[in-house]
Amino acid sequence: MKESRYFAVVYMFVLTAICSTLLIGLARLTEAKVKSNEQIAFERAALAVFPSVQVQSDAEVHAVFTKDFAAPKVSGDAYEYRPQGQLAGYALPFAGQGFWAPIRGVIGIGTDFKTITGIWFYEQAETPGLGARIVEPFFYEQFAGKQFDEGLRPIRIRAPAEATERDIQAITGATQTCVRLEKLLNDAVTQWRQKKEAAQP
Amino acid sequence: MNGQTTTKTTNQIILDGLWRDNPIFRQILGICSTLAVTNNVTNTAVMCISLSLVTALSCATVSALKEWTPKTVRMMVQVLIIAFYVIIVDILLRAYWPDMSRSLGPYVGLIITNCIVMGRCEAFAQSNRPWPSFLDGLFSGLGYSVILLVIAAIREVMGMGTLAGYPLPYFSTQWDKWVIMVMPPGAFFVLACLLWVCRSIGIKGKKA
Amino acid sequence: MILLAVDTSSIGSEVWMAVVTCFAAIFTQNILLSYFLGMCSFISVSREVKTAVGLGAAVVFVMTATTVLNWMAYWWVLVPLNLEFYKYILFIIIIAAFVQLIEMMIDRYSPALYQSLGIFLPLITVNCAILGAVLWMVIREYSLIVTVGFGFGSGVGWMMAIVAMAGIRQRIDESKIPAGLRGPGITLIIAGIMALAFVGFTGVLQ
Repeated sequence: MKESRYFAVVYMFVLTAICSTLLIGLARLTEAKVKSNEQIAFERAALAVFPSVQVQSDAEVHAVFTKDFAAPKVSGDAYEYRPQGQLAGYALPFAGQGFWAPIRGVIGIGTDFKTITGIWFYEQAETPGLGARIVEPFFYEQFAGKQFDEGLRPIRIRAPAEATERDIQAITGATQTCVRLEKLLNDAVTQWRQKKEAAQP
Repeated sequence: MNGQTTTKTTNQIILDGLWRDNPIFRQILGICSTLAVTNNVTNTAVMCISLSLVTALSCATVSALKEWTPKTVRMMVQVLIIAFYVIIVDILLRAYWPDMSRSLGPYVGLIITNCIVMGRCEAFAQSNRPWPSFLDGLFSGLGYSVILLVIAAIREVMGMGTLAGYPLPYFSTQWDKWVIMVMPPGAFFVLACLLWVCRSIGIKGKKA
Repeated sequence: MILLAVDTSSIGSEVWMAVVTCFAAIFTQNILLSYFLGMCSFISVSREVKTAVGLGAAVVFVMTATTVLNWMAYWWVLVPLNLEFYKYILFIIIIAAFVQLIEMMIDRYSPALYQSLGIFLPLITVNCAILGAVLWMVIREYSLIVTVGFGFGSGVGWMMAIVAMAGIRQRIDESKIPAGLRGPGITLIIAGIMALAFVGFTGVLQ
């Protein structure tokens, strides 16, 4: 019976079915944990763009986030940061194609719609040692305090030799990453600003 | 008909060259795709433990099922079982250690095509009982782990001055870090040197 | 985030991205010299330039086709069904089935081609480079057009590495090598030097 062709097919089928069931079960069991990991990464990013907030553990991050951040009423809008009930800024999530893989993060914008309070990247897979250095303090700390330009290019990332006071200095050797980062940040910010202006009376 | 037979023989010769006649090659090949994560010790340790466990469990399962498995689907069943355990490792890493999962990238999944796992299943598990197969798989995996950990230690200490993330006294301060150790060529060179040392010792031993 | 051909950018910029990715996959992020994938066939088959070219050509073809097929399988089947973890099994099945199909077709329509190329196809099925390229394509969330560029570039990059290695080894066969290094040792050193040479390309794109 072992040699019959039908047995082989049935055997493969049964084995595959058992393996699949076990795997799907495990995947569903851990789904909640995976989603919560991603959520915590995002919440940590949202907190990180407002320099006055200092938290460590995941539980603290979640507690502070749910207390102080109001979810946007319209999807694609920013999260409102309201510590002690007062509006102190906006946390705008952004996502887009970097040079190698998607870059995801949060940019903090002040109540005047013009000042950047900070920026944080919670997902990137750029070239290690080059583009991946966007997560190092020397790069992302430049954003804090800068103001948006008017028009379609609120953020400008320029080569260190050409950068003015208002620009962000790019990372040497990571031109493509910086070019795409500038594009995706500007897309996110201009879209948000247009929505805000349309909503205002 | 004649052409068919000749082709099969050439096929067989190539496969023999890969597996049976070249034991040294076979050992190196299994290490190769894991070299990519050897630029630090922590990642390597996680990879090695995953590889050893997958090998051990797959061998045990293949051995347990060998009475039932029809000859025609033997290879497919092997791949399916190996893939099953690798997916479990992948799911667990993604849920409970997402940073590590992201650092290791596709290399966890590539354990499926790793020559060591398939080699042990083919060579040992197909003709032995589950418990010995488990042990054989486990210790084969651990054997390669030792080599990989040595490579990782050399690369991390010389390239970044740390060991498993902890800065070392001389290496993180005064040592001029060898960037080449962090890059892919460094892995090739360290492995080649290690191989040279081991084989030279082996040859001297034989001569003495 | 499914990046279909008509996302925020136009098709023109997608094609440009595909060209850049192809170039990068050949030189700066060579799938063999930077990511260590596909070493098995690399070390054992790369003794003669002719066999290396044959194997390389087969890999280029299989890699381009399977990355595209697997892109479709992943984004159009697995993701909507929420079965992403299944990708390893599905990808291997698709790769093996595709290689089997090609082998049968070549055997039927061109016995001459089968004699020279067909014997490599079973080797390709377990080649980690193919599965690796597919997994990178998934991790980096490439769109379909960019996947074509990436698959083709990875294959060509692998082929270049293996042909170069075969050429070098044919020369080295006549030199004196220390006993401990003979065989895999010297092959690894050659691979290391090649990898070093390719690192020099990093500045070209960035």
